[in-house]
This record gives sequence, structure tokens and C-alpha cells, in this order.
Amino acid sequence: MAKYIAFRVLATIPLLLAIAVLTFGISVAMEGRGSIAVSVCGEGATQECVTEVEAALGLDDPLPTRFVNWLGDVVQGDLGTSLSNRNQLVGDLIGERIWPTLSIVSLSLLIGISLGMFFGISAAIRPGGLLDRTLSIVAASVIAAPGFILGMLLSWWLAVRWGWFDPVGYVSMGESTSGWLKSITLPGIALALPTLAIVQRQLRSSMANALQSRYVLAARARGVRSSKLIVSHALPNAMIPTITVIGFRAAAAIGLTVAVEVVFGIRGMGELLVTSIVNRNVTVLQGGMIVVGLAVATVNLLVDISYGFLNPKVRLEK
Amino acid sequence: MTAAHSPVEAEALPDKPQSQRRRFWRRMFRNPLAVLSMLWIAFLVLSWIWPELVATKDPFKGDPTLQDIFLTPNGEYWLGTDGFGRDYFSRVIHGAGFAFQSIFIAMSIAVGIGVPLGLFSGWRGGRIDRTIMWFNDVIFSLPIVLLAFAVVIVLTPSLNSAMVGVGIAMSTRFTRLTRAVTLAEKEELYVDAARITGLSTPTILRRYIAPNLLPSLIVQFAIIAGAIILIGATLSFLGVGANLDDPDWGVMLSRSRVEFRRVGIWQIVPPAGALVLTVLSFNLLGDAIRDSLGRDKTSNALTVSKRVSITPTDRPHREDSLLSIRTMDVEFPTGGGDPVQILNGVSMAVQPGETLGVVGESGSGKSMTVLSALGLTPAPGRMTRGSVKFDGQDVTSISEREWQKIRGKDIGVIFQEPIAVLNPALKVGRQIMEPLLLHTDMDKKAARERAVELLAEVKVPDPRRRIDQYPHEFSGGMAQRVGIAMALACSPKLLIADEPTTALDVTVQGQILDLLMEIQEERGTSIVIITHDLGVIAEVADRVIVMYGGQVVEGGAVDDIFLRPRHPYTKALLDTMPQNHHGDDSPLAVIPGVVPSPTDWPAGCRFAPRCEHATDRCRDELPGLEVLAPGEVVRCHHHGELRELLASEWTEVTL
Repeated sequence: MAKYIAFRVLATIPLLLAIAVLTFGISVAMEGRGSIAVSVCGEGATQECVTEVEAALGLDDPLPTRFVNWLGDVVQGDLGTSLSNRNQLVGDLIGERIWPTLSIVSLSLLIGISLGMFFGISAAIRPGGLLDRTLSIVAASVIAAPGFILGMLLSWWLAVRWGWFDPVGYVSMGESTSGWLKSITLPGIALALPTLAIVQRQLRSSMANALQSRYVLAARARGVRSSKLIVSHALPNAMIPTITVIGFRAAAAIGLTVAVEVVFGIRGMGELLVTSIVNRNVTVLQGGMIVVGLAVATVNLLVDISYGFLNPKVRLEK
Repeated sequence: MTAAHSPVEAEALPDKPQSQRRRFWRRMFRNPLAVLSMLWIAFLVLSWIWPELVATKDPFKGDPTLQDIFLTPNGEYWLGTDGFGRDYFSRVIHGAGFAFQSIFIAMSIAVGIGVPLGLFSGWRGGRIDRTIMWFNDVIFSLPIVLLAFAVVIVLTPSLNSAMVGVGIAMSTRFTRLTRAVTLAEKEELYVDAARITGLSTPTILRRYIAPNLLPSLIVQFAIIAGAIILIGATLSFLGVGANLDDPDWGVMLSRSRVEFRRVGIWQIVPPAGALVLTVLSFNLLGDAIRDSLGRDKTSNALTVSKRVSITPTDRPHREDSLLSIRTMDVEFPTGGGDPVQILNGVSMAVQPGETLGVVGESGSGKSMTVLSALGLTPAPGRMTRGSVKFDGQDVTSISEREWQKIRGKDIGVIFQEPIAVLNPALKVGRQIMEPLLLHTDMDKKAARERAVELLAEVKVPDPRRRIDQYPHEFSGGMAQRVGIAMALACSPKLLIADEPTTALDVTVQGQILDLLMEIQEERGTSIVIITHDLGVIAEVADRVIVMYGGQVVEGGAVDDIFLRPRHPYTKALLDTMPQNHHGDDSPLAVIPGVVPSPTDWPAGCRFAPRCEHATDRCRDELPGLEVLAPGEVVRCHHHGELRELLASEWTEVTL
């Protein structure tokens, strides 16, 4: 297993490199469509501003040199400075904004995966039963609703009408742990609901397949109890495709959290990235992409490792 | 023999493409959700092409006096008004145009890049394929929203540039799908043949790959259309999509995202409702297409068949039998029509220490009989008549919980596909220990030791190492030994072997049969062996039951039946044995015709259509099962007259 994990860790390096190339490509593509400096500084740009921005991007060097220099800085944790405020380090900006985002995404995954698994298994026990049919309708509707709409609905009932939560704002963990938890609960649930529905649907269908298999019939012929058939026999096999889906959804949730943050007036990565796009502040967007890319690579790695735990064939091959 | 697990195979009879298409549409129109989805999408398409027809008000014209703002639905404004007094109904209707424009742009890019790339990658294979798919997976793994951000910052914010980003992200889904189908089809023999005959690649792609790709592509198309709308709305909501005044659903939601807390939740309902309904419709449509193309699954091995009242039988059990089945009927309900009867009046019994063979072609109901006797009738099938007695106890309608105490302890089952019956995720040892931990008071350590012993008893070399291996590390023959070890773990009184050698190499078959016979001799276990191979019966069984079309047609001692079969079907089976082929130039005998389908049993004797001795009586009247002596039965109108004719001239058999 250790060998397998080491191999998977090494395999993320090319993935990170590809993300770096894509990210670097953004500024190259922008330059290709016209001066970034002019679009950042505005139409009546002063020469001073243009020179400063161009220096920040290192536009004088040839492309490969620029990429190597940029990558070298990124690897050392230097994401450059913001183009709209030259004294502001992108790393610091992200460092401030990442905690709300990370909190919301983690909470949503925790809720979505655990409850999704619970309901997925419950529905698979009696395919076509009342619970299964109800859950499949609810799941289909929830998957069709983006997190930000669910967030507005939650905010209306639980915050505005019943006053259980504050409708907007984020409390950091340092200020108050309970306040922090309270401030991320609604956005966390809003983002969790589609995850829950996706996990439920996937697990329900892969459980249904596993329960139809010959090995479950054979275990039943050995006198194995139904509860054990579900948990020890069907679940480990049904989790293999489900883990893959969880990985995809986790990556999607990292992207979709930005809209949920906006609903709850939380100044996280979402607001930072959207503002950077509107202001054409490419260094900030690139920094954001690197951080998100890192998160996605981590999720992929976790998925691969759990895959190895669940599937002996994969684990023993390497 | 798989008939026991897909009992209503008749449904999957090969169809002509035309009738397949008709069945597809019939299924679609019978699904109310699919019909509603199609109606809603059709309504949106109309709103897109001709919005003025549907909505009469100007979606941009507000109320300059700011009187009619934030209204809830009323006779004038069907869906109320927004913060500028603009008619919500008109705005939502005009929003359909933005939704379909998004789908159009993003889908063109996604399909335009994804499908050709997938075809190319899958068709070329090798290193090019791996490289393309690696890059594809990198893009695939990144959040779509983020990719859209990257494209938007380069192209400047607008709905169209956002959709370029979404299209690129979505193309990876089409690449994956197309490549997977292409790769699978490329391996098919008919594609090989086409290549050898010199058909050009485009022709092969069009003629062989496209028809197989299209159904999955259409399903994917519907689901991705929904995803595009959802992400488009999210981007517009964030302010990096449609313009701030456009009647786009995402923009509308963005405009009321603060105000709804003050003026009421209704402010988000019209755009949110339209958005969710549309995405839901596309998703439901995708699901419905998939379901209508494939076969549905509503049962699993866990589903305990519905309890129905079982009609008792007046045929008495023999007191000395270990397992005794009397006049058992098993039915499968169909979608509305009459239930299909899979088994009809099946009776058989095993005496202690005896080996009973059950023989018949695929679809004769052999496996179904024993599974049903053990309360394992595959759902939705159910036993409707009969009585089953095991070890002196009436087990006809005992609960699943009571069965759990018998199965694995007093009855062990060996299955046909030895690898498929082992759980791939669990170590072999853990699976052998399972019955020991369930049915004996052994602790884990003792059970493990016993499992090692059991593996040694079934002659698995190096059992101490093998016990910690996974099923995929076993060959078929070794896996079957594991299956036997599991069945034997609790020293059952009865061993049921369902085609134990069918899936194995010929050389391994002999070894497994020898092992079963050894077990029988050493332990005196009763064995029921199910097979379609009379050679197996000749080798191991004391008595034999011949089944045909869900009924017992003959039963008796092996020696009697092999030398003097009473039923024409038994005789026909004997004639197909290679051992009975007399070495002259005549071809090996085959039984003409096929086993009838359970949906279509003949009115009279079920074998009549294939029987060379059949008379009008045989075709009209189903013969009953005649008991000639205890354990000796036959189901034939003419067995008396045919007695001498059928007597085998084959005497040199090794019985």
C-alpha cells in the first residue's frame, strides 16, 4: 500500500505541471489579444502605470524564460503582486480569503458525502419501494437546483423568517468557534444538498448492481444476514464507482462555492476571483487558479488512495 | 445456465430496428415525467423562437413612477414585477432565449471538439490515445466554473465568452464517452472483418461505430444541456455572464439576491423556478431516454420475494427424505399481463447419503427449483404452490431469519461461476470464515485455523498463504475449490452443487468431480448436483431427475434410466452424449428445435413439438406425472408403448 500511495503522489506532479501551464497560458493569451497593462490601467493609462504592470509580468523576457521564472516563484510560494494594488501580495490576498471558502467546502463535503451515503444505501435496500421513489424524485430536483438558489431559499426561511442564523457575513474561527460554525452552516448546507443528491443517486445505482451480483446471492446462501450483506459485501464494491463520482463533485463544489459565498455576503475566494476578472487583474486570477488546482490535485490523490483501499486489484498491481 | 437469473429473457428477443424504435417511443410516451419534460422544453423552444407570441409585455420596459415594483402575481402581471416594475412573466419567457443561446454555443464547441477527438483517440489507440486522454482528464478534473473564469478574463466578460469556456470544459465529457465507445467497438470481430475487407476508416466509423455511439451520445446531450444552463446561470449570477439588464435567469436572480430578504421570497421564484424546471426537464429527459433504451432493474439478490399465499399440496412427503420438494409452482409477474409460470408441479427428494442428479437443457428450471426450495427465488419471482421439507422441518414458508440459520449450516451451496460468487473486495479467508463465525461458536482465531484446514481438505496448495489472497488471484478451478470449502465449512447435511464444473476446463472438471465424490464417501453428505451434462450424472449420481420446460419429465435410478429411459426426451439427451456416438460416419445427434420460452408453453406435452413420437393427444393434453414406484416417475402419455423402442442399445457405459 505504501508503494501504491507513493506512486500516486508522484503521479500528481505532471497534473500540477499541466495546471501551471494552463494558468500561465492565461496571461499569454491575454497579451495576445492586446496589452494587459492598458486594460488594467484603463484607457487613459499613464506611462508609469503601464511600465509598472509590464515589469510585474516580466513581459520583456522570452516566453520560456518567463514561464520558468514564474513557475520558480510559484513553487516557492510567491504568487506575485496584485495588478490593481502593487503593494498587495497575491499570496496574502488568497491567504485572507481562502479560510471561509475552505470552511464552506469542507462542511458541505462532510454533510453531502455522509448523508448521501446513508440515503443511497437506504434507497438501495428496497429498489422501487416508497423510500426509493421519494428519494429519487427529491434527488433529481435538488440536482437541478444550483447551490446559490438553494442558499437563497435557506437564507429566506432559516435566517430571515425564523432568525436562526445571520443572513449574511462570516465569523472567523479565531473570533468565535460557535459563531464560525453558525456562519458557515447555511452556505455549507446549500452547497451540500446537490452533493448529497449526486452521491445518493450514484451509490443507489451501484449498490443495486452489487446486490444483484452472484457473490451477494452466494453469501446469502451461506446464511449471511441482510444487514451484513449490505455493509460488508455490497458496500465495499459499490463504493468504488461512488468514490470517483465524489471526486468529481468535490472539484465541482470547489468551483460552485463562489456563487454560494456571494449569496451569503461572504468575502471568500469567490468575490476575489470575480473582482479580478472584472478588473482584468490576471495575477490574482492566476494565483486563485493555482490554489484551486492544488486543491483539485489533493482531492484526486485522496480519491486514488481510497480507490486503492477499496479495490485490491488496483492496489496489488502497482 | 443463467435462466434462473434472467427469467424473462423472452422480453429481449432480437427486434428489428424499426420495432426497436417504436418500442423506444412507446416507452417514452408511457413515462409521464418524460412527457412533461418534453412539453416544457417544447414550450421554451417556442418562447425562444417567438417570445412575443407567448409574452405580450416588453421585458425591458419598467414603471417609471416606481409604483408597480416588487409585485406578487396578479391579473395584470402574471408572475409579478421586479424592482423596476418590469413584468416578470415576459422576462422569464425572454430568458428562454438566453438559455438556448447558451446551450447552442457551448454544445457546438463541446460536441465539435469532443466527438472527433474521442473518435480519433479511441481509433488510433496506443501512445497518442494515452496522451490525449491524459490532457483530457486534466481539463476534466478542473472545476468548470474556473475554466470559464479563465476564458472570460481572456475574452472579456460576456455570456458568449463564458459559454466558450463551458463548451471547452464540456467537450472533455464527450471525448471520454466517444473514446470509450470507439475503443470497445474497435475490438469487435465484425469491425476487424470490415477492416480486413478494406473498408475505409470513415465508412467503418459511420457504419459500425456511429450507431453504437448515438444512443449514449443523446443521453449525454440531454444531461449536458441541463448542466450548461445551470452553469451559465451561475456565471451570470456572479456577473461574468449576461449583461446586467438582460432578462437572463441568472442575471434576474443576481438582481434580487439582496432585495429578496426585504421584499419577500417571491422575487426569486420566477427565474429560479424557470431555471430549476428546465434543468430538471433535461435531466429527466436524459434518464428517460436511457431507461427507454435499456432494460430496467427493479430487483436485487436482497429482495426477499413478496410473500404470497402458497397453495398447499396433497402429495405427501416421504418421511425418510432429507430434502423433499412437492408439486412446486414458481411464477414471475409480468408488467400487467398474466404471470409467467417458470416451474410447474416440480417434485423431487434426496435421501440421506444419496447423490441426486438433476439434468436438463438450459431453461428447463433446474437451478430455479433448488434456489426456490432454499427460499432464494430471484425476485420478483415467487413460489405459488407446493411444499418443501428439509430434515423433518416444513420450510415452505419460514421467514428469512429462520432460513439464515439453515443456509450455510445444514445446507451448503456450490455455484456455477466460481470467481463471480466470490466477493472481489474481500480476502478469500474472510469469506470462508463467514459461515463458521455465523453458525458455530468459534472465535476469529479458531475460524481462521479451520479455514486453513478446509482449504487443505479441498487440496488448495499452500493454504496458509492463499487464505490472505483476493479472489482475482485465483484460477477458476482453485476458486471452485474455495467455493467447495465454503460450502463444507459447517459440515452441512446437504450439499447443493449448481453446475459446479460447467465454467471450468475439462481437465479441472474431473478433479472437481473427484473431490465431490471423495467428500461424499468420507462424510456421507447428501449431494444434489445440477448439470446439463449426462456424463457428470453417470460419473457421480445415484439417482437422476430429468427436467424439461419447468417440469420433471422422468426420475429414477441412474442405471435404469441410462439403460432403459422411459421418456423420449431422456432418450434424446442420451443420444447427444459423445460416449454414445458409435464411431460410424453419422453426425453426433442433436435434439431438433429449442426449449420453448416460459411465456409460450405448448398447450399439451411441452416436449411434443420436438418429439418424434408425438401424437395428437400429446399436442392437446399435458400428461401428468405418473409415479411408477417410490422415486421412479415419468411424464409421458405413451411411455408404456415406447418402453422397448427407447431401450438403449448402449451397454458398454461405465456406470
